[in-house]
Amino acid sequence: MTPFDLLLQQLINGLSLGAMYALLALGFTIVYGILELINFSHFNVFMVGSFIAMGVLHLFGIEGQSVLLHGLPLVGVLLVVLVVTMIACGFLGVIIERFALRPLRGVKGPMAMITTIGVSYILSNVVLLTQGANEKNYPNPIPHWSFYIGGINGARITVFQILIWVISTLLMGGLFWFVQRSRLGKAMRATAQDPDAALMMGVEVNRVIMTAFFMGSALAGAAGLIFSLYYNFTSFGIGFSAGLRAFTAAVLGGIGNIPGAMVGGIIIGLIESLAGQYIAVKWADVIIFSILVLVLICRPAGLFGRLAPTKS
Amino acid sequence: MVNTHYGDLHVLKNVNYRLDQGEIVCLLGGNASGKTTTMKTIMGIVRPTSGSVIYEGEAIEGLATVERVKRGIAPVLEARRLFPRMTVFENLEMGAYTRKKGAEFDQDLDRVYSLFPRVKERRDQVSGTLSGGEQQMVAIGRALMARPRLICMDEPSMGLSPLYVEQTFDIIQEINRQGVSIFMVEQNAAMALLIANRAYVLQTGQVILSGSAAELRENETVREAYLGEMQGGH
Amino acid sequence: METTTTSPDSTPDPTILDNTPGHENVNALHTVQVATSRWTRLTAPFERPRVQYAVITVVAILALIFPILSGDQANIDAAANATAYATLALGLNIVVGFAGLLDLGYAAFFAIGAYSFGILTSWQITPDWGVFWQPFAYLGLVQKVVQNGHAIVHFTVSFWIMLPVSAFIAAFFGVLFGAPTLRLRGDYLAIVTLGFGEIVPIVARNWTGLTNGAAGLNGIAGAQIGSYHFGINATPYYYVGLGLIAFLIFVSTRLRDGRIGRAWMAIRDDEIAASAMGIHLVRFKLLAFGIGAGFAGMSGTFYVAKLQTATPDMFGFPVSVMILVMVVLGGLGSIWGVVLGAILLQLLQTWFLGSLTQWIDALGTAIGSDYISSLDLTQASELIFGIILVAMMLYRREGLIPAARRQRALTTEQQHASVQRRAASDVRLSQISGERYAHAPGAVPMLEINDVTVRFGGLVALNKINITVPAGSVVAVIGPNGSGKSTLFNTITGLTRAAEGSILFNGAEILGLQPHEILKAGVARTFQNLRLFPTMTVLDNILVGQHARLRSGPIGTVFWGPSNLKEEKVARSWVLEIAEIFGNRLVPRLNHTVEGLSYANRRRVEISRALASRPRILLLDEPTAGMDTSESLELAEQIKGLNALGLTILIIEHKLDVVTRIASKVIVLDHGEKLTEGLPDEVRRNEAVLTAYLGRGAAARA
Repeated sequence: MTPFDLLLQQLINGLSLGAMYALLALGFTIVYGILELINFSHFNVFMVGSFIAMGVLHLFGIEGQSVLLHGLPLVGVLLVVLVVTMIACGFLGVIIERFALRPLRGVKGPMAMITTIGVSYILSNVVLLTQGANEKNYPNPIPHWSFYIGGINGARITVFQILIWVISTLLMGGLFWFVQRSRLGKAMRATAQDPDAALMMGVEVNRVIMTAFFMGSALAGAAGLIFSLYYNFTSFGIGFSAGLRAFTAAVLGGIGNIPGAMVGGIIIGLIESLAGQYIAVKWADVIIFSILVLVLICRPAGLFGRLAPTKS
Repeated sequence: MVNTHYGDLHVLKNVNYRLDQGEIVCLLGGNASGKTTTMKTIMGIVRPTSGSVIYEGEAIEGLATVERVKRGIAPVLEARRLFPRMTVFENLEMGAYTRKKGAEFDQDLDRVYSLFPRVKERRDQVSGTLSGGEQQMVAIGRALMARPRLICMDEPSMGLSPLYVEQTFDIIQEINRQGVSIFMVEQNAAMALLIANRAYVLQTGQVILSGSAAELRENETVREAYLGEMQGGH
Repeated sequence: METTTTSPDSTPDPTILDNTPGHENVNALHTVQVATSRWTRLTAPFERPRVQYAVITVVAILALIFPILSGDQANIDAAANATAYATLALGLNIVVGFAGLLDLGYAAFFAIGAYSFGILTSWQITPDWGVFWQPFAYLGLVQKVVQNGHAIVHFTVSFWIMLPVSAFIAAFFGVLFGAPTLRLRGDYLAIVTLGFGEIVPIVARNWTGLTNGAAGLNGIAGAQIGSYHFGINATPYYYVGLGLIAFLIFVSTRLRDGRIGRAWMAIRDDEIAASAMGIHLVRFKLLAFGIGAGFAGMSGTFYVAKLQTATPDMFGFPVSVMILVMVVLGGLGSIWGVVLGAILLQLLQTWFLGSLTQWIDALGTAIGSDYISSLDLTQASELIFGIILVAMMLYRREGLIPAARRQRALTTEQQHASVQRRAASDVRLSQISGERYAHAPGAVPMLEINDVTVRFGGLVALNKINITVPAGSVVAVIGPNGSGKSTLFNTITGLTRAAEGSILFNGAEILGLQPHEILKAGVARTFQNLRLFPTMTVLDNILVGQHARLRSGPIGTVFWGPSNLKEEKVARSWVLEIAEIFGNRLVPRLNHTVEGLSYANRRRVEISRALASRPRILLLDEPTAGMDTSESLELAEQIKGLNALGLTILIIEHKLDVVTRIASKVIVLDHGEKLTEGLPDEVRRNEAVLTAYLGRGAAARA
């Protein structure tokens, strides 16, 4: 590969990773936008999503990477797996909100955030206890077709990467449409901007919050599936590092800001793959966090965020 | 129509209000006297520890805010409180949140646009960028979109220039003529008493005076507390 | 009034408070004296009930004889590890519990302390021997070792030296990490600390030259006393750990109960109010971060000396969370609570989980379930952490031993005591009077506001405002809600930035200064919507007001120099003196948290808090809001009394009878513009004012 091809290759990989991080970051940002809560349980809803999807793939008789599907069966199976995973994760998010977080609504300080750390631990350890500590070989029915840019030695785009882009674009577009145009989506924005006023307009705030958790968690489930298909493995421990990077993406873009989370996710994905190529994989997290700190020092509200004016 | 009565709440102590169909009733009082708590109690944001809120003959103090809005109670909040990053039109939509979109929605929209032609001009502008007076129009329009029978207003004159204050009060009278009852918390006592039928004076959570607006305009205590000292030479 | 020297034992029964109706005027002074002496214990700082001493003594004795009672090395080893975590919990408690800064990467400082000691005692770094090292060898910090005919340096720094040194190194990194991030909002701080918490183990894993990477440092020398090497014997480490805990509890308690602890809790409760009361936010947050990190550095050294190895895995996010769980379990801000939390969790892991696994496996065998009988719960200690976190948050947020001090209920007499009204002439304050407040006629004005303009986005909140407040005067600002009055106060006190203009205080520019600097210069304020520190007592709230006038630094606070003790005593008697302005309304409630007070009393606390800073000008934002007519007039008298002492007052007020009674000049604001100013009588007759305030109709009528 020429240096240019190498760069192109890393940009392609970075975009794929970034799309995954963006999906995960959206869940942080939606919940934060409404509740001003950093939801650490999101990390492991993502992980649980990966396991749920694995279970569904097993139901279809897909084990390891040797059973490949093509054409309509491939699309059908992936669609079913995606939808089932997203719905299951969505409900998981709603359950977490209803039983662990709603009782704490209105309590000042870091209490709710600490609770989400607890929930996160419970999720990862339940999976640890029931599924074991070993990394699991992930069932992957997607054939290894690829396209080459600039000949067989050039940069490679796999079918799967294209699938990632299509799926995440559709999901993000759908989310954006929902929040901008639908009645409930507008209620979500109104609640985020002024919860009291929204309440007095007759917005059922509980429903809005549950919707936010459902959608955020469903996207995390989709991200979990993509992550495991990308790396061909899953484990009870995948939530932390991926979640942390996605969260960094959300903060980078200005937490609470939906387009910000998307852009932030892409940026983090690109940094990760470029740093991995040109510096060293082992320093990727250090670079990511250093950039985060630098951005926050220069723009405390993130790249696209706005600080609420302080009242006194 | 509204008969509120709370027990020994922190803020409101055994307060009674009454508002008849088609009236404008005004609640006067200083900051921290319990005015806003009264508003919140009517809207269902704060629940009274005891006592009842009766609306159109029915006790509603146990109802959620949504239900109250559906029954025709709409708020105009203190300092407008529009959704700053939503457009004017979206803000109006939020006012009609509890209702189905359709012919009625369009009718109400027309009504708001005819009351406030300015609002129509600005319909696609983000509401945070409007001037204070324009925001007040949107806030009142937003309340009207709920097709209310009762509007609760919290300090509609606050922060507005005299011209806008007059316009606002004219509009309130106009809306009232169209059959909407108005419950209004105000500091601008003289203006409020000019358009109100009746008024209550609230101090440290207790009603210290009540009566027709005309009576209260002449009342020495009100004059001393809110008007009188200002008109000392009179 | 003599209040500071009476011993607590001589306090009369509180029930003799004389409140017989009709006697109040005659006995007013007498009553106050009785009430005051009853509360003199307030002026003796840091007293603790005897029961508490007894409990502490019993616990200490049990802890000391535990190794003898137990005799089992494994148990003693577990207990020694628990002491390390208890010291960590104490450190994190300062950061999260006291100062309210959520640090999710606290284990990073643990790692820094651990590696500092590890590197300086192991064979990891062995430079070539040279003359440079001779003095260090002389001091016993290094050894000259000859390997294969090559002379190298072997670091042999003593454990006892490294304890404080590691604390300093970790504290340094605490300040270094904290400095750029502490300006961030709380949630951002959490994520950035989490990031640092990740970076430190990554560096430890990848900088193999320094740390030997994932394999970890080996051959770390343990502690020794004289020629006695602790080796792998847990018992001496256990006692060192106990000593550390005792020391850190002592430090934490002293810090909590003094000027610094109050500042931290004020920041935790309300940053804006804290800064307006003279607390340098960045400095005190950094101090909390640094001291907390220092504790962790110490425990790192201790822990590594005991284990004699250090690997990056010992300091990851799970460790930070575990320490957080300990703090939450014990009670945020509760010193004894977090120690208990740490010990419970540590013992849970080492003892309880093993037993529980055996029971559950036995149960599984009994009911014939292979799955249950093969469960290994010792793997899942984090599951227990998670459940503890969630359960504590849902059902007992204040922790096992809540930090909040119990409040003494008021006696029936006190509750029903008739209020002592005090006239303006009764207001006496020893520290507000005399030269400091003497004003030569024709001197520079106390406050001069020139052409100040404030914009919020496109909105002009204040437009070229000019106001002069002569020294010794009472100036009132009136105007409808939303006319810019509170913005004016926020601008004077540095909470809101002005776009242009100047504000001279005693002839010196204060525009652009930080709020705490403005308070220190002598400008104190109250807030329209009350910004007290809700979890703190009335006494502590008012003490925070004195923050800028007190000197005690961390060292002095911890080791109580005589001057610190005296300063604290004087501060407390000053609180009493101020509270007495309001008769018996505040004095009996000094030990109550402000949350339980009536609205009017909270306003009085806020005024007291501002007065405590010994201001030269007092800014009161609607002090009578929420008060009835008689309470308002009473307060007006008290304000008049303060003014008679020489204090300059700028007041926002709606109640015109109050304004007329006290103000020598009235300024009318409307839409961010100064409409007019003049004597109260002139302003009342002004046409423009009538229109602005009363509207068209009223103006026409007048």
